[in-house]
Amino acid sequence: RAPGSGPIGMMYSGITQAREFDDPPGLYEKTEFLLREWVTMYHSPKAGKDSTNAFSLFVHQMNLQGILKTDELITRFFRLSTEMCVDLSYRVLMDQNLKSPTVIRAKCFHTLDAYVRLIALLVKHSGDNNNTVTKVNLLNKVLGIVTGVLLQDQELRGVEFQQLPYHRIFIMLFLELSAPEAVLEAINPQILTAFCNTLYYLRPQKAPGFAYAWLELVSHRVFLGRVLALSPAQKGWTMYAQLLVSLFKFLAPFLRNVELAAPIQLLYKGTLRVLLVLLHDFPEFLCDYHYGFCDVIAPNCIQMRNLILSAFPRNMRLPDPFTPNLKVDLLPEITQAPRILANFNNLIQPPSFKKDLDSYIKTRAPVTFLSELRTSLQVSNEPGMRYNIPLINALVLYVGTQAIQYIQNKGNTPNMSTITHSSHMDIFQNLAVDSDTEGRYLFLNAIANQLRYPNSHTHYFSCTLLYLFAEANTEAIQEQITRVLLERLIVNRPHPWGLLITFIELIKNQNFKFWNHEFVRCAPEIEKLFESVARSCMHPKPS
Amino acid sequence: PQNSFTSEQKQSMNILEVACKRLPLPIDSQRCRHLGPGAPYQTPDYYPSSAPKCNTMEFFQRLSTETLFFIFYFLQGTKAQYFAAKALKTKSWRFHTMFMMWFQRHEEPKTITDDFEQGTYVYFDFEKWTQRKKEGFTFEYKYLEDKDLN
Repeated sequence: RAPGSGPIGMMYSGITQAREFDDPPGLYEKTEFLLREWVTMYHSPKAGKDSTNAFSLFVHQMNLQGILKTDELITRFFRLSTEMCVDLSYRVLMDQNLKSPTVIRAKCFHTLDAYVRLIALLVKHSGDNNNTVTKVNLLNKVLGIVTGVLLQDQELRGVEFQQLPYHRIFIMLFLELSAPEAVLEAINPQILTAFCNTLYYLRPQKAPGFAYAWLELVSHRVFLGRVLALSPAQKGWTMYAQLLVSLFKFLAPFLRNVELAAPIQLLYKGTLRVLLVLLHDFPEFLCDYHYGFCDVIAPNCIQMRNLILSAFPRNMRLPDPFTPNLKVDLLPEITQAPRILANFNNLIQPPSFKKDLDSYIKTRAPVTFLSELRTSLQVSNEPGMRYNIPLINALVLYVGTQAIQYIQNKGNTPNMSTITHSSHMDIFQNLAVDSDTEGRYLFLNAIANQLRYPNSHTHYFSCTLLYLFAEANTEAIQEQITRVLLERLIVNRPHPWGLLITFIELIKNQNFKFWNHEFVRCAPEIEKLFESVARSCMHPKPS
Repeated sequence: PQNSFTSEQKQSMNILEVACKRLPLPIDSQRCRHLGPGAPYQTPDYYPSSAPKCNTMEFFQRLSTETLFFIFYFLQGTKAQYFAAKALKTKSWRFHTMFMMWFQRHEEPKTITDDFEQGTYVYFDFEKWTQRKKEGFTFEYKYLEDKDLN
């Protein structure tokens, strides 16, 4: 009945079994009796440290009631217990006589915390001490059951849904299982995986009523620390990145609208705080996954993206962008490629397009590839959703990295003269000239997303953007390049290093004749803005 | 851009609307404390909302003995309790695991053997919330909490 085996299979079967109600007669009463007994025992002074005494007595009672006879009965016991704990919480939460939130919580936690301790003890003591498989399977099963009960509860209750009992069960269980004990430390990676999978199942898109508790769980200091600092790096990082991506995806359609509803504002603010913590404590994590994050963050969320793009490895010292006569090409880091933990090659779809692209990069022919480029990137005719943004992002980064390799293979380093006159630049110039305003905006944004800390991508794309500005055949292109840079700089800090470098070069270097353009003087407030930016670039103030 | 939400997104929004009226509280992700801070309360801006650098041993060393007793008994299972116990030990207080009270020698013990010592002690009575003196008390070492707190 369970699809597949192993931890994931256990979780799946738990989720499905949360919907089975054909319990054998008397099981409900037995479970209710046992749960009541356990709650009393848990709170009794005789329970012993970590309820050990109470637990051995309780297992004996479970045996007497025949619950431990089959896996199926155990599963049903957990489902019924979870439902009873949840129902009790609803009764307390609806009780008109209870006004104080602390009293309400104390009443709910009385049962919920006892139940959580029971789960933790059963997980710890299932199978032999060295039998990690049984423990991990049981944990996944129970998490699956709670997940299934939650999803069903939300479906049935709709707007009446309460996140409190589930939130408490998940966080307390996680804390219990994070205790410094050898049995638990041995299965620590599997515990983290199980919780990450659970949170992924319950992502805001699937369980919007749980979204705020979900964000609390995802940003809980112990959880965050364990997943990002203690777990074997790549695994924990990938799982955590997946959770963040699911949050960004959920927020995207709402954030794309200018008028933010209060609930979205709240969730957005929480997301910014998580990003700030990550930027401060785990900047390398944001560096590594920046591509995947930028792919799903709505284009108008400037500050959110800046937080991600401003991250740089902790061992790196960034030269002050306002240093006069800063020679970017002489920085040692500028030749090193950043790590990108996203397979952007595979994102260039369909395969026939990828084939044509590679062939054009190699042979610089046929010219029809360029003229058809715009159609390949377009997906609909609806304004605001005309283009396949992930495809544009993948194309820009892929062509850029190919160009860097091509230049390096010739024994050169990318700079304003080596990047020109190649199949790669053909593609970029074509996208700049041939796109409509929307397409060009997305294209330029894809370039600006690579302007980060000193590395070969930052340098190449900085040169590319400046070159596109210099070689533009219409003022509209130059205006749009300026817009993309400026709109990322007028928001509050942080600002990515590469972005500042590029913008300062644009307004300082006489070759670009920046100040001769009409759009600089299109409105008095814009003009003032440019002048103030220029002043701060030319005469750096101590920060 | 215009508001063009899918029906699923509209549904999510309705649910979020209600959910954000039932937000989680900080205590929801903390272990139960039977006493201590409860529900958040709106305080005036001039009222300090956090103490600077209070998570260090130096800070706890500066606290009065009575404050340390309060922390020890009322903030169970917290880092603060751990610091308080450590600070009390440096002030020559010893914890009696059967009486669950802190004792301090009032004078050199009259008798000292391998299993106990006997003499006059000062102890902190948490029920009466006061320090008391006890003459001729036998402190059995098996009740001495002597784990190294590091």
